[in-house]
Amino acid sequence: MPPRLRSGGNGLSPLLLTCVEGLSQRGGSRLLAGLTAIIQNQSQSTITLQSSSRSPPCSAPFSTSAPCELNREQRRMWAWLRGQGKKFKTAPDPDQFGPDGETAPGNGGGPNYVGSFDGTQVFKNNKVFKSEPVLSEKARDAIFSAVVEDQLPLKAVSQKFGVDMRRIAAVVRMRSIERNWIASKKPLARPYQRAVLAMLPQADLNPGEMPFEPINDIHVHMATMQQLFHPTSESRHFTRRDAAKAFGAHILPPDDKLRIPEMIDLERKLASGVPSEEAHDEFVAQTARTEAARAKRLKGRRTMAELNRTRVATDRFEFRFENFNSSAVGRTGRARTAIGWRYGVPSHDRKPDQVKIPTKME
Amino acid sequence: MVVKMRLARFGRRNQPFYNIVVTQARTARDSRPLEVIGTYDPIPKADSYDTSGKLHKDIKLDKRRAQYWVGVGAQPTETVWRLLSMIGILQPKVNPPLPKQRAVPRWTGLFNTKKAPAPKKPNAPAPPPQPK
Repeated sequence: MPPRLRSGGNGLSPLLLTCVEGLSQRGGSRLLAGLTAIIQNQSQSTITLQSSSRSPPCSAPFSTSAPCELNREQRRMWAWLRGQGKKFKTAPDPDQFGPDGETAPGNGGGPNYVGSFDGTQVFKNNKVFKSEPVLSEKARDAIFSAVVEDQLPLKAVSQKFGVDMRRIAAVVRMRSIERNWIASKKPLARPYQRAVLAMLPQADLNPGEMPFEPINDIHVHMATMQQLFHPTSESRHFTRRDAAKAFGAHILPPDDKLRIPEMIDLERKLASGVPSEEAHDEFVAQTARTEAARAKRLKGRRTMAELNRTRVATDRFEFRFENFNSSAVGRTGRARTAIGWRYGVPSHDRKPDQVKIPTKME
Repeated sequence: MVVKMRLARFGRRNQPFYNIVVTQARTARDSRPLEVIGTYDPIPKADSYDTSGKLHKDIKLDKRRAQYWVGVGAQPTETVWRLLSMIGILQPKVNPPLPKQRAVPRWTGLFNTKKAPAPKKPNAPAPPPQPK
C-alpha cells in the first residue's frame, strides 16, 4: 500500500497529487522526500520545488523522463553563481553600516561591488578597463604639508613624490578649500568621499613604491615627427639644441620644454658620484631659485598690466580702461590679434565640433 | 559728412559686445568703420576668487587715437562721451537738472466730489451800476 498524502487543506492541485501518487507507485522515494518538504512549506503559502541532487532545479522534478539539458548560457550562469558570484548570494548586513553609511572597519562588511573581484575591475563585463590609482588621503596630507608647512618648492615636491606639478597644485588648492570649509564649519561630504575612495585603488606614495605618474614628459611637436637628413661634419659636437634648430627655428630643445629641467642636473650629479643628500639639497635650492625668479617675472607682468590700466569707480561698477595700440592690425587690417570684433569674418558658432565649454579657469 | 565716434554692436543675442569705432555718420551701424579704436564689454563681471560681490566692466581703448579724433572734430555719441569723459579725454556732460516736481499734481481735485468751501466774500459795497 503506497503512502497516502492527505489532500485536505494543503492546497496542492489535484494534478500534482495525481503525479505524486503515480510516482510513489513507481518507487520514486528520492523525489518524494523533496515533495514532502514542499508540503511542509505550504503553511507559508509558497511552493519551492526542491531537489536533493546538486543539479540546478528542473521545472518538473517529479518526471521520470531524463532532465532537460542546460544550454551553454545556463551552464555558465550556474558556474558563475557557484564561483565568483557566490558572495552576492547574501546581501550585506545593514547593521554593519554606520549612521553615515560608512563601513565599520575590520568586520568585512560593506557593499558588494559587482566588478571588484580583484579590487581593480570596476565594471563586471569590462575586464579591459582598470582604474588608475588615485592619491589617498594620507598622500594628499603629505603633499600639503610639504608645500605649506615645509615651504618646499613645487618642483621639488613633484620630484620627491613622483606626482605631476599640476596635480600637486590641485591638491594644495583643494586642501586649502577644505580647511576653509572646516574653519567656517561648512559640512563636508565625508561619506561620499569614503564611498568613492573605497571603489578605487589608492596610492600612498610611500618611498620605494613605483612612481605615481611620469612627471617630466614633454610635448612632441608635429614638426619633429618627421625624419630629417641633416648633413654635418663628423667632428662636430651635435647636441639636442642643434637637433632642435635643424627641425626649425621655432622648435625648442627638449631641455627647455621640460617641466622640471633641474632634474637633468640632479641626475648628472647622482651619476657622477655626488652623495644623494647633497645632490638633492642642491636640487631643492636650484628649484627654489627658479621658482622665485618665475614669481618675480609674473609679478612684474602684473604690475605692468596694472600700469596700463585705469580704474574708474562709479556707484555701481568699476570701469577698467586698458590702453592699447589700435594701429597694430597687421598688413591687411584683419590680424587675429587686432582689437575688437573682426569685420567680414563669420562666427563659427553653429559649426560642428566647436568647443564652447570653458577649458580653463582664471 | 559728419564723422562720429560710436559703438557698433557685435556679440550674440543677450550677450552684447561693442566695438568703439570712428565712422561716417550715415553708414550702417555695424559696417566697416574708418577705424576701430577700442572695445566695450557692457556685461559686468566679477573677479575670480572675489567674493565681495563687486562687479567691473572691461574697456579697451587706444587713448592716443581717441584724443586725435576728438581733436579733429569727430562727434562722440552720448555713450562714447560718457566713456571718454571717465578717463579725462572729454569734459563730463552735466545732465540738465530735472524739472521741479509740482507740489500738487494737476489732477488733484478732478475726482474730488466734496466741494471745497467757497472763499468768504468780503463785505464790500456793491459796485455802482454803470451807466448805459
